[in-house]
Amino acid sequence: AGGGRLIDRIRKWYYNAAGFNKLGLMRDDTLHEDDDVKEALKRLPEHLYNARVFRIKRALDLSLKHQVLPKDQWVKYEEDHPYLEPYLKEVIRERREREAWNRK
Amino acid sequence: KRFYSLKVAPKVSASATAAKVKLSPESQGLEITKLPNGLVIASLENFSPASRIGVFIKTGSRYETTTNLGTTHLLRLASNLTTKGASSFRITRGIEAVGGSLSVHATRETMAYSVECLRDYVDTVMEYLLNVTTASEFRPWEVADLQPQLKVDKAIAFQNPQVGVLENLHAAAYKNALANPLYCPDYRVGKITSEQLHHFVQNNFTSSRMALVGIGINHSTLKQVAEQFLNIRSGAGAPGAKAVYRGGEIRKQTGDRLVHAAVVAEGAVVGSKEADAFSVLQYVLGAGPLVKRGSHVTSKLAQGVAKATSQPFDVSAFNVNYSDSGLFGIYTISQAPDAGEVIKAALNQVKAVAQGVVTDADVTTAKNQLKANYLMSVETSKGLLNEIGCESLVSGTHTSPSAAAQKIDSVATADVVNAAKKFISGKKSMAAAGDLGNTPFLDEL
Repeated sequence: AGGGRLIDRIRKWYYNAAGFNKLGLMRDDTLHEDDDVKEALKRLPEHLYNARVFRIKRALDLSLKHQVLPKDQWVKYEEDHPYLEPYLKEVIRERREREAWNRK
Repeated sequence: KRFYSLKVAPKVSASATAAKVKLSPESQGLEITKLPNGLVIASLENFSPASRIGVFIKTGSRYETTTNLGTTHLLRLASNLTTKGASSFRITRGIEAVGGSLSVHATRETMAYSVECLRDYVDTVMEYLLNVTTASEFRPWEVADLQPQLKVDKAIAFQNPQVGVLENLHAAAYKNALANPLYCPDYRVGKITSEQLHHFVQNNFTSSRMALVGIGINHSTLKQVAEQFLNIRSGAGAPGAKAVYRGGEIRKQTGDRLVHAAVVAEGAVVGSKEADAFSVLQYVLGAGPLVKRGSHVTSKLAQGVAKATSQPFDVSAFNVNYSDSGLFGIYTISQAPDAGEVIKAALNQVKAVAQGVVTDADVTTAKNQLKANYLMSVETSKGLLNEIGCESLVSGTHTSPSAAAQKIDSVATADVVNAAKKFISGKKSMAAAGDLGNTPFLDEL
């Protein structure tokens, strides 16, 4: 239990050090958009997709003005949901299945 | 031996109260069991190298409501979408890899999912079949990608004018249920959601309304499969509305030179004695050509209409039976200027039969034609599977071919005349398509 908490503290420190939460972004907003991610984004339900587009727009605006959000609006480590992860996992699983079939 | 890899598989112990249905000795090899949850399992072991298995469900376009029209059409197209046990890609490739095929056939009252393959690979395709019928996920993006296919499917089907006329005929003849179209209405394409598909399946694909039928497979295998995997949804599901006949007419002016017209009255319910009489009447009047490019010698309708016009035409009796209603009448295809004469001549022929102008020889010929048609349709494994499946759904038992032939023989000439009288006196419905300038309305016939 103690070891688990230590890993969590390191994770939290790294998350805050990375800094994208200061622009109001979640981790899944920052994923590099390769083919798998593009396909997973096509499958996102509408409300999640709209929220993502809003956050990215807001971050672009802040970056252009060389500003960050006020401290109380930074995304907290506990509140960061990996919303894209289930869809992304499924896309990758399907791609691997296709490749396995084609190899046989 | 591990047959199936469905993730959703409630363990049900073999029920001691599964009732075996007693069949006449002529139905050799055919075994039917009815499980306590209502599922009927039928199998015929004919030792053929290819097996054919079907899941028949008592659902169809009649169980739709005005809020979810087109759901069954999309379900027909959605048989290869991802399920809980296999992805869409895997279903397609898996079935192809063993040389099998999966198809869906739906009428207004029955849906049949059937697979066929070589006997050795029955386990594989059976797994996919059960996945598709019980555990389909209808993922929103897959359903959305499938909707344009509705348009393509409809366009291909409507190339045949008969399809349009029959859809209109049902819409004109009934107020609800059976009036629902088999093909998705245009305004619903793109609007059918995954939730509606799920809802429809939950309410209609229930054990008591299903039959699992196999040809070329042994009964105990099928029974084991059914008890383990087709127990997912029990109960009777949502009941369909009772079809109410109203008798209307729908005309579609298209400007085509050939006019297709159907005039019908309410007919017989499937399985009733009246249905046999109407079937014989259909063949007395003429139900399609028996000799290609022949002169339809035995068809009363064709002979009668030939006296009324010298232009090319086609006419046959139309007969369809549903579980609580039926339609019987005539279907004519004629040149646009002649349409009125053709329809009137055809109706006069039926009137003549209703007045008794029909000999015993005519009736015997008709019975022979009907018997031959029926027996030939169950010669193929596809026809036989459909026949066993539909009958299992309706009555849970099977009528052997010889018993069916006897039923046909027991129809008397008087029954045929009564059937014709019922048509003449019944409230008519009509559907017509083409250049309708010379096509009479219902009240002019």
